[in-house]
Amino acid sequence: MSAPTMGQAPPLGSTVRVLLRHTMEAYSDSPQALGWLRHHLERFDEPLRVAIAGKVKAGKSTLLNALVGEEIAPTDAGECTRVVTWYQDGHVPKVLMYPKAAQPRPLTIHRNRGALAFDLQGTPTDQVDRLVVDWPSQNLRSQTLIDTPGIASLSGDTSMRAGAFLTPDDAPTPADAVIYLMRHLHATDVRFLESFYDQGVAKATPVNTIAVLSRADEIGVGRLDALTSARRIARRYRSDEKIRGLCQTVVAVAGLLAQTGRTMRQDEFAALVALAELPRADMDGLLLSVDRFVRGEGVELAHPDTDARARLIERFGLFGVRLGVTLVRQGINDPTRVAEELVRRSGLEDLRTVLATQFTERRDLLKSRSALLAVEMVLQREPRPAAAALSAEVEKILAGAHEFVELRMLSALRAGAVKLPTDAIEEAERLLGGDGGSAAARLGLDPGIHPEDLRRAALEAATRWKRRAESPLSSRNTADAARIVVRSCEGMLASLHRY
Amino acid sequence: MAVPAAVDLVDLALKATTAYQRPDLGLRLQHTRKRLADPAVRVLIVGEFKQGKSQLVNALVNAPVCPVDDDISTSVPTVVKHGETPAVSIVRDHGPDDERPPERTEVPIGRLAEFVSEAGNPDNRAKLSYAEVSLPRKLLAGGLVLVDTPGVGGLGSAHGAATMSVLPSADAVLLVSDAAQEYTAPEMEFLGAAMKLCPNVACVVTKTDLYPHWRRIVELDAGHLERAGVKADILPISSTLRLHAAQTQDAALMEESGFKELIAFLLNRVVARADDLDRRSTAQDVLDVCEQLATTMKSELTAQEDPERAEALVADLTSAKTRADALRQRSARWQTTLNDGVADLIADIDYDLRDRLRAIARDAEQLLEDADPADIWDQFAEWMHQQVSTAASANFVWTAERARYLAGQVAEHFAEGAEIALPTLRFEDTVGTMGGRVGALEQPVDEKFGIGQKLFTGMRGGYGGLLMIGLATSIAGLTLLNPISIGAGLLFGGKTVRDERKRLKQRRQAESKNAVRRHIDEVTFQVSKDSRDMLRRIQRDLRDHFTVLAEEVSTSLATSVAAAQSAVKTDTNERESRIRDLRAELTRIEALGERAKQLAAQAGQVTTGKQA
Repeated sequence: MSAPTMGQAPPLGSTVRVLLRHTMEAYSDSPQALGWLRHHLERFDEPLRVAIAGKVKAGKSTLLNALVGEEIAPTDAGECTRVVTWYQDGHVPKVLMYPKAAQPRPLTIHRNRGALAFDLQGTPTDQVDRLVVDWPSQNLRSQTLIDTPGIASLSGDTSMRAGAFLTPDDAPTPADAVIYLMRHLHATDVRFLESFYDQGVAKATPVNTIAVLSRADEIGVGRLDALTSARRIARRYRSDEKIRGLCQTVVAVAGLLAQTGRTMRQDEFAALVALAELPRADMDGLLLSVDRFVRGEGVELAHPDTDARARLIERFGLFGVRLGVTLVRQGINDPTRVAEELVRRSGLEDLRTVLATQFTERRDLLKSRSALLAVEMVLQREPRPAAAALSAEVEKILAGAHEFVELRMLSALRAGAVKLPTDAIEEAERLLGGDGGSAAARLGLDPGIHPEDLRRAALEAATRWKRRAESPLSSRNTADAARIVVRSCEGMLASLHRY
Repeated sequence: MAVPAAVDLVDLALKATTAYQRPDLGLRLQHTRKRLADPAVRVLIVGEFKQGKSQLVNALVNAPVCPVDDDISTSVPTVVKHGETPAVSIVRDHGPDDERPPERTEVPIGRLAEFVSEAGNPDNRAKLSYAEVSLPRKLLAGGLVLVDTPGVGGLGSAHGAATMSVLPSADAVLLVSDAAQEYTAPEMEFLGAAMKLCPNVACVVTKTDLYPHWRRIVELDAGHLERAGVKADILPISSTLRLHAAQTQDAALMEESGFKELIAFLLNRVVARADDLDRRSTAQDVLDVCEQLATTMKSELTAQEDPERAEALVADLTSAKTRADALRQRSARWQTTLNDGVADLIADIDYDLRDRLRAIARDAEQLLEDADPADIWDQFAEWMHQQVSTAASANFVWTAERARYLAGQVAEHFAEGAEIALPTLRFEDTVGTMGGRVGALEQPVDEKFGIGQKLFTGMRGGYGGLLMIGLATSIAGLTLLNPISIGAGLLFGGKTVRDERKRLKQRRQAESKNAVRRHIDEVTFQVSKDSRDMLRRIQRDLRDHFTVLAEEVSTSLATSVAAAQSAVKTDTNERESRIRDLRAELTRIEALGERAKQLAAQAGQVTTGKQA
């Protein structure tokens, strides 16, 4: 449970569960509604479903591999992922294909140079609803990752499959949260992010979207400072009002670097070491272009040989090789440390932190949101007398649950609807849980800090915002916002009391 | 390039028209001369943003003229052309109805980025039309003009529409896409539309130094082009390598950069083709003039040599003149074709535009019906703007295509079978501003449903509820303001807010829909006026061109008639010397015609020679 519990109020999750059960009772005679609701009740206990979406070749599968820490999703130079594929934790590796009009059936698992290869047994891709891959992995335990086909793909139906999965016209989306990858911000990206807005619950709240500036290593044609540049761009996007209104935050990640860092092999390290021993001028000449590197232009190079170099450039990219060689030259001679450094520089850790604060800590909220959407849909589709009370209940949860109030306020602040000084807006966003739901994150303090200090800080913040709320100079808007912030502070205080 | 041989030939022909006192023919040659004097061959460099367009221009001229940045993109087109000394100026055009010459300001070379990049001039707030860079470069000396454009961001964007509207005036287009990925749907869509306006397209795949799989990407792209039925070369290049090669004078690196092929394309297939066109059209003009001069002389010669036949000759010539005069009449077939065609075209284009916009209006109203305009307005306005831009550019592409076809038809009817030079159609003057003309949708001034108002109306209902329950419960011995009644008050209040909110929402929806309708009306009016103006101008150009041709022919025939008639009256001695003179003159004119033919023949040879 992310947000602080409000005094004695029951946690949001259990309220929504109760509502789901009540709705199931009211619809006990409708098998369709019942099935749908039961599915959502079960979904409550499943790991968070995080979809990875973006335009074609944005690096979705690569990022998925980086997050899992294994090369499981197939990647290719051309367009590769054509079917929505779920990766979830399981005891044994297993692939199930769900055709649209038939029973799911297992597929045999092939591996092609590490990555999985799916053989659809002749089923055309447009007949396949999804593939579900069970894979034993620590990293899939808290979240199920969903790889989606690229948007704006030239094979139109591939794009459509992604669209139908992420923003279906007829039902709430099957994903609880979305990581949206983009190389540069395009009109289609904005359009897509907008369509991911949900209509009913927590209206126009980009609560469940994180944007990732992917392939960050290719910015600035692979110069060594490419990632600094990428972070600067991400920062600019973050402060762009239009984008702030569409997603929680923007982080820059070099997916290839992260994937390779997490899966680096000993022979690759050896190759980097061998390359680092070359004279600098030779190395610079080699790294002018990928072709020169593979050909070994102007350099007598027995190890790594041409094939090894081709593989190396494929796994690292020009930037990765440049960075790896530089790291070895700087005296890092331990493969583990080089790998760690690659991952660190790739920005993957930033992404994981953001995922933890924005998604994992908000798990209950996101799940509740999905469930409320489901209930709302049932109530709208099959209206009946008993539904009126349930509708009121949905509305009460939406209006009453402080978590949703916080979310709405957050998006209002981000959309610039409330006039406050910039630093006050920043503080308000933080206190409302914009940087993470824990008390420490809300107060902008170290996670390990003593509860007593936290309490003091929370009290201070509450007093400060109460003053703002009560000041006769504050406009109605500001006062309302301040009151909500105060309520968040009080929530923190209530939860801290127990220590 | 201004082909020197062509210029010389026109000068010679001009002298001939003065000598034979045919100023009407001289006028046409003067036009030709003027056209030759402006040798610009415009190559538009287009593509999505951050694909390396500016860097490509820099690598081509081997100088950092266009600002390149990891993040910030180009916001104003930059024209790079030949000049004796390096210079930069920024140009601001006035509105299309304003006749003043564009405003031109010289700026220091290093400060170009302040005017053409998103950083210095976001969204082109300075309202510049373009920046112009002159550089002393051999590559550009042939008249090649490179135009670096802002990234299109899809057909629907304003940049996309603006780019589309300048395409008809370009001699060639380089579509730039990097080797990171194969073509996306928006890119192919753009290419398809661009091909219709400017068929000379090459697809440049950039950054081959960075991507190990660039060969695969080129292959995939070739496949996409083939499936779309697009015939265009794909040129993989690396600007980084080319710049590096120029620095180190490394021939192997230059080879690897792929720029040799690109430059060969620009010189052989773009500049040479433009030169060929110059040669052919000049040759055609001069041959025409020769023929008309010769007609007069030949008819006089025939009459002098054989006076008995003079009468028949005069009759022939007179009837030919009548035919030529008939061509000048409004009832001539080509005139009818032209007038009817333009009228039809205007109706069709107008219908097409209205149809597209009506569909948008329908979608828009549905969108507004489904949501509260106050929440979605910003995105909605953006969406609306994109849709309208897309419709306007699609309509424009279609107009240009149809107009070109019509011109061909008119030419055919003007002289069935005879080869008639088509005048250059003027698309570019009118529509350069089309993208900008489609203004942004204005938000209707609506009753803001602010928090204050929400609270006030809530109070009204809540107050009643508070009293009611408060009174009822107070009978049971509770005080007027107890927790239960406060809760009830909130509930009642909630209901009133909902009702009021609903009423206001409906009002907002109605007002937004009105705004949409007004906007669509405005756009229909503006765009259809623009395309109507453009078509009228095309009509006028075609009519003037062909009327002048008819007049020339008529005048030639009239002088021929006069010459043939006067020939009969001269006496024998004079006749002999006149025949000699005429023969000599005719030989001279034939020599001139021969030179024109050689020039035309050269045109074909040059291209095939270079291509082989």
